[in-house]
Amino acid sequence: MPKLIIDDIPVEVAPGTSVLEAARSVGITIPHFCYHPALAIAAACRLCAVKLLDGPVKGIQMSCALPAQDGMVVSTTDPEALKMRSLVIEWLMLNHPHDCPVCDEGGECLLQDFTIAGGHSHRRYQGKKRTFQNQYLGEGIQHEMNRCIECYRCARFYQDYAGGTDFGVMGSAGRVYFGRFQEGPLESPFSGNLVDICPTGVFTDKTGRFRARYWDYQFAPSICQHCSVGCNTSPQNFQRETIKIVGRRNDQVNGWFICDRARFDKGYLNDPQRPREPRLDGATCGDDVAVDAAAKSIAEFVRKNGADSLALVGSPRLSLEGMVLLAQLARAAGGARLCYFGDPAQQQGSVAAARLLREENSAYVRDIEQAQWIALHALDLIEEAPMLALSVRKAFLAGAQIFLVDGDPIPARNTPPFKYTAVESLDQVPFEKGGKGVIICGAGKKDPDLLAQIASCGAKLVMLQPGANGFAAGLLAQEHAASPLADLVAARQVRGVVCFEADVPEGLLSGLEVLASADWRRGPVEAKSPIFIPTTTWVESDGTAINYEGRAQRFQRSRLAGLPLKGLDPKYYGNATEAVTLHPPRVHREEVPGGAERDAWQVMAQLIARLGGEPVVEPLEGKWSALRSLDPEGEGIRIFEIVAGE
Amino acid sequence: MELPLFRHNRPNRVVTFDEYREEGGFEALKKAFSGMSPNDVQQAVMDSGLRGRGGAGFSTGRKWSFVPRDLPGPRWLICNCDEMEPGTYKDRVLLEHNPYSLIEGMTLACYALGVRHAFIFIRKGYEKAAANLARGIEEAKKAGLLGEHILGSEHSIDLDLHLSAGRYICGEETALINALEGKRPNPRSKPPFPAVKGLWQGPTVVNNVETLANVPAIVANGAPWFKGLALNPEGAGSKLFCVSGSVKNRACVELPIGTTLGDIIDGACGGMRDGRKFKACIPGGASTQFLKPEHWTLPMDYETVAKAGSRLGSGGVIVFDEGHCLVEATLNLITFFARESCGWCTPCREGLPYVKEILTRIENGRGEEDDITILREHVKYLNYTFCALAPGAMAPLDGLLRDFEDEVREHITKKKCPFKG
Repeated sequence: MPKLIIDDIPVEVAPGTSVLEAARSVGITIPHFCYHPALAIAAACRLCAVKLLDGPVKGIQMSCALPAQDGMVVSTTDPEALKMRSLVIEWLMLNHPHDCPVCDEGGECLLQDFTIAGGHSHRRYQGKKRTFQNQYLGEGIQHEMNRCIECYRCARFYQDYAGGTDFGVMGSAGRVYFGRFQEGPLESPFSGNLVDICPTGVFTDKTGRFRARYWDYQFAPSICQHCSVGCNTSPQNFQRETIKIVGRRNDQVNGWFICDRARFDKGYLNDPQRPREPRLDGATCGDDVAVDAAAKSIAEFVRKNGADSLALVGSPRLSLEGMVLLAQLARAAGGARLCYFGDPAQQQGSVAAARLLREENSAYVRDIEQAQWIALHALDLIEEAPMLALSVRKAFLAGAQIFLVDGDPIPARNTPPFKYTAVESLDQVPFEKGGKGVIICGAGKKDPDLLAQIASCGAKLVMLQPGANGFAAGLLAQEHAASPLADLVAARQVRGVVCFEADVPEGLLSGLEVLASADWRRGPVEAKSPIFIPTTTWVESDGTAINYEGRAQRFQRSRLAGLPLKGLDPKYYGNATEAVTLHPPRVHREEVPGGAERDAWQVMAQLIARLGGEPVVEPLEGKWSALRSLDPEGEGIRIFEIVAGE
Repeated sequence: MELPLFRHNRPNRVVTFDEYREEGGFEALKKAFSGMSPNDVQQAVMDSGLRGRGGAGFSTGRKWSFVPRDLPGPRWLICNCDEMEPGTYKDRVLLEHNPYSLIEGMTLACYALGVRHAFIFIRKGYEKAAANLARGIEEAKKAGLLGEHILGSEHSIDLDLHLSAGRYICGEETALINALEGKRPNPRSKPPFPAVKGLWQGPTVVNNVETLANVPAIVANGAPWFKGLALNPEGAGSKLFCVSGSVKNRACVELPIGTTLGDIIDGACGGMRDGRKFKACIPGGASTQFLKPEHWTLPMDYETVAKAGSRLGSGGVIVFDEGHCLVEATLNLITFFARESCGWCTPCREGLPYVKEILTRIENGRGEEDDITILREHVKYLNYTFCALAPGAMAPLDGLLRDFEDEVREHITKKKCPFKG
């Protein structure tokens, strides 16, 4: 363990730690641009210069590329180091445009920070700034090459980390250019990370430009709900609108990055057409009116038809809290049936995966990254769990063999960033005893026997769940012996349903009476439902999700529910004729327009109370209470012990 | 005593394979293969005191000794023929007259280092030299001196010619390795050094053309003979000096190490042109400091030139007379370096154009007093770059500010170049 002194502070770090990281460990941030913890060391920007006063190395050194050694005496504030750093800023500012006021990066720009910090305020250079032509990079990312400070982060991420081939560096000397090699949008499904990784405004999020500054945003730690990987994100909200979504570091899940679906697929959150008002028989009503009517309707139905002809239908879209309360609501309704899935095949696979996975065999991300063999079982990884493709790529680069077992040919647009061999069966994958192997498969719609066979190979397992919270749905469906709705309908066992964030296909609905539904999006259930109660999306709610590996993660409300101010219907302005659609309303209101939504579990809690059940104060009770204190900014916890401990 | 490199040269044409062999060519190879172990060959090169002729002047024997012998997998030898520094054209002259010394030298080096496959990395513009080498390689193969089972032995050595697209940075050995692998020619960070992890991550030696072309004579005649070629006791061997600028005969000449600057100019080059007076010269290619009239009797060897505050470098001598403006000359060199930066690290990519802008203003009479301060900052802080390109580029600027500051100041105070009417 090397011991060194940085700015008079003694530091002891693990061997191989750089001086920059050692300094960071005691709270000293050495300015840097090209250094990024997820990327290989480049030592290109030369901003992290420090002076070594004593020890095995002396003089000005780049702290990112200098491994800490015993006896080093490092000064980050030596005048020579300061001069070097201020010159680096001056050099970068020779060509960087002074366009911060019209740059979307302004306020969250590393170059701004370090220019101010570096003390370069007076322009001595008398030459002209160089200019470039920008490229069209697609609908997600705006390109502004004039701002480039050539830290090479983008090319190193895009090519080395993410395996992209259509974007990189061109030219040399003062004409280095980062862009696509030919016309057209970026092809990598991870291209959006260029926005996060660029230290200045070369790549900005085109889908949310010029709406707000960094300090305007409401943030909270959140979990992406697009697939069962559960990547950590930070939605950036402004005036009840999710403007941007950026990646948030969690080394146990997604590292530093997120896929483009997580970043750009957000229009549905802001959609003014989302059902936001409680409804009774087609007419907008108060929240209590709708809940009362729903409770009354349930009680009536149960009294007439018996509780077992009523099904309460949820889905993997619900948070764990919602899933737990759905079961309580079924009890309060006198023992109504419980559905967490519509499709029997999906439930079978999900339940089987949740049953087969244990602490010992459920793969951690590092198991994937360090594997020697990886088998993708009938899986289009980029489609089903894009971020895992980057973990597999890490293993591939370290020499792992990758196999696609029994899979359909992968469409060209989903070509993964690693080479693989297509084989017909798992027997052809050379898993050796004691070796590190991982099998990745989709659990939804897989035959439980096949999943059991896969689990018996001795490799670590990744079983991707249908939906963001599929693991929890599988667990609860098993615990409560829930049946898939399609089975109940086929057996004519139910006649009425109450749906909570459940997507029931129209075919299934035709013979059913929909008593009430609660959701944040429109669909056949919502259309058919005489009583409708709006709920919040994951951006507007607190909750817990369990990802494919059994990791429970807490997401936090990052903005209030309600209609975005932008484009707000003039009816909320008090004067429908006034053309003020882009300006905040001038009429004071007590309530948030369109803000009647509550988390689905809160709706369930109200119904439970109305139906005479035990009042719900806290949705996570019993074994789940261990998850109440889950830190939204932590790594999450795997739930196997909790489940086993019941 | 006959100097090794140019002794086979014919005026105005390339020596033929037969002529080279008749004059003792490939005898060193036979000698090595019939009675010397690879270690013997390496030891001879070590003892000869041969130093890298590409510019850095590092001991060739020591460079070879850094290659670990116990690593599995292939190791590589690369001949660096990316000769692009302004004022340096010795490798071109050598190869346009005689490709065989290099081919024989590389074969011997491969034998010494245990290399199966070697590359010659040759720059664009050297098509004639490349054609000579291509032909020479074929001839040597046909004669059993290269390829499978050389001279009937168990040793097989292949030599490939790689025609580069041509950038100055490709002369930096790690950038060259990247270029040869088909990547962008950005230098790699060191350590690991190429001797441990170079081409395709294997141990790799990169030597200059002239360095390798010296090897046959060392093996044939022995290390003491080679050492004895030099005129000064510390030196070893001969050196190709390629002279340009204000001399009567601008030529590439082979002279013993230790020949004085005056003897190179007055002797081989026939003196200054048109009776001009010697003002300064760059002794070893564009990335070396100026030498002045007081250095006229300086023996041209690595140590002595370094003590005089410059470097022997590549032996590319550019001679300036009293009518030359050294601000303009330095600007010319900086323009080259600014253009040839690979663009990897900030100080080189941005600092060199900055220096160029300032020198341009000074030369055009728009210089300011503060400019000298800024230039001095660059001389100091452009040392902290990723590779040696920018520090090399600062050498002539450093020399300019050290030895000719008055000339720079005159530009600023008179608001014009004093050498222009």
